[in-house]
Amino acid sequence: MSFLVIQGLHKRYGATPVFSDIDCTLEQGEFVTLLGPSGCGKSTLLRCVAGLTEVDGGTIRLDGQDLLPLPPQKRGIGMVFQSYALFPNMTVAQNVAFGLRMQRVPRAESARRVAEVLALVELEALADRYPQQLSGGQSQRVALARSLVTRPRLLLLDEPLSALDARIRKHLREEIRRIQRELGLTTLFVTHDQEEALTLSDRILLMDAGRIVQSGSAEALYTEPASAFAAGFIGHYNLLDAEAAGRLLGRSMSRRVAIRPEAIRLGSGDLSGLIRSHSLLGNVIRYHVESRGVELYVDVLNRSAGDLLPSGRSVALEIAPEAVRELEG
Amino acid sequence: MRRAEQGPVLLYHRLVVWLLFLILLLPLAGTLLYSLATSWSATVLPSGLTLKWYLALWSDARFLSAFGHSLLVCFGALLLSVLLILPLLFVVHYHFPRLDGLMNVLILLPFAIPPVVSSVGLLQVYGSGPLPLIGTPWILIGCYFTVALPFMYRAISNNLLALNLRDLMDAARVHGASTWQAAFWVVLPNLRKGVMVALFLSFSFLLGEFVFANLLVGTRYETLQVYLNNMRNSSGHFNSALVISYFFFVLLFTWAANRLNKDLP
Repeated sequence: MSFLVIQGLHKRYGATPVFSDIDCTLEQGEFVTLLGPSGCGKSTLLRCVAGLTEVDGGTIRLDGQDLLPLPPQKRGIGMVFQSYALFPNMTVAQNVAFGLRMQRVPRAESARRVAEVLALVELEALADRYPQQLSGGQSQRVALARSLVTRPRLLLLDEPLSALDARIRKHLREEIRRIQRELGLTTLFVTHDQEEALTLSDRILLMDAGRIVQSGSAEALYTEPASAFAAGFIGHYNLLDAEAAGRLLGRSMSRRVAIRPEAIRLGSGDLSGLIRSHSLLGNVIRYHVESRGVELYVDVLNRSAGDLLPSGRSVALEIAPEAVRELEG
Repeated sequence: MRRAEQGPVLLYHRLVVWLLFLILLLPLAGTLLYSLATSWSATVLPSGLTLKWYLALWSDARFLSAFGHSLLVCFGALLLSVLLILPLLFVVHYHFPRLDGLMNVLILLPFAIPPVVSSVGLLQVYGSGPLPLIGTPWILIGCYFTVALPFMYRAISNNLLALNLRDLMDAARVHGASTWQAAFWVVLPNLRKGVMVALFLSFSFLLGEFVFANLLVGTRYETLQVYLNNMRNSSGHFNSALVISYFFFVLLFTWAANRLNKDLP
């Protein structure tokens, strides 16, 4: 039996359902990401697991124990919030020690464990600072330490990186993953950022409009999107309707088709196209190409400036058959 | 460019501030000088300086008891308001945020109804019947509670809004605190500033309150302002000493509050 089992969970605010029929499981030590656009219910789902929001039906079992009758403080769960939610009246060390103080852990042991987790997040030097003296990245690491110190059975991360700037976000992302691996923590991570989800997770649960629409490893989700929503949300898929896809590929198609822009080759092949424009994404150049009346995006690795194809140039292109993905529905 | 402009602009700003300060200070300085003067009638400056008015004031038993009464009534009202308003605010902001609109109307009532009008109403209700409170300090404590309500509610409410109450409560609860523990250990300490500001503001205001004190209780439980009013026919020097003492006390109180706020993190 899995470590965390969520079955048939649903939640509504008044008449509007937030999510319904949520079924998912987490294995012990697994890092699972809930990915979805804002408003899809992923944060509410996380709050339901934490016990901060009541559910309307279904079950949540953690390690065989039914969580729903328990108040949040009895669930043995750690949580990190997007807004850090550090206690402004306490120093870093006191913030981290909060959970232990509530458990009435003896002072000496508490001090030892606080020092331990502060070392883990590399913040020993700032133990006596107050939250308002910390940067965003430091604050979030304190929040992480605070949720780790009680040795939770499950760690919940609610968009912990969304309020940080890009460089710190990347750094902290790796740090979260390192600590999670080191401690073997079962982790449920919520984000709307596909890059975060793809780089961090063992498994991704893709959510849309209150439902889990696809679940799988980062590779599977990226290369085999099941629906137009998945293809549109992850990567920069070319989404073609059946008629356009049939015209482009020269055979009749009955469903919508998604083609990854990096799976199309320029410069050889039996299709001919016209470069409309391009945009530079750094290591990748994204061409806007028209072929047989179909507009496509094609990603090419930016090897040297001399290779750049100017707008208006005719070009041959080839679409690998395995990159053509027919979508359900 | 900006730096070049700053000089004259800064001077102008300072000038305005100092001028305002001077205008506000002038009557006070006059009163202070008068309270220290032996006599001051037909000359530009007083004929001599003395502390005898202060000595007379601070050895007057009636003044001391009025002062005590005032402090007691103010502290009583403020204690009552803290005990009632803190939990109320917490409940409003945490559980029923929609009630905040209603509360904002309710707390304006003490301002909307002039003290003279509400005293007449209070005299009617509490003059006799089951709760004959008129003439006792209790009516003043209850009445001052309503007067302090707007100050207390607004200051603490602003403090709460700046606090991100919901996330803090959530964080505390996830990490092992019950709602009560979270409110006590996390929310309450962070409201200290708002509560302090509200308390000192209300205290200074209540200590100077005259209309309610005079109409509802009068000489039966003489407060500082009523005493001042009753002494209006005695020596002006004596009254000046009284006013300066009163002002100095409020000043001291405010200064202490400021210091207390700054020293705390």
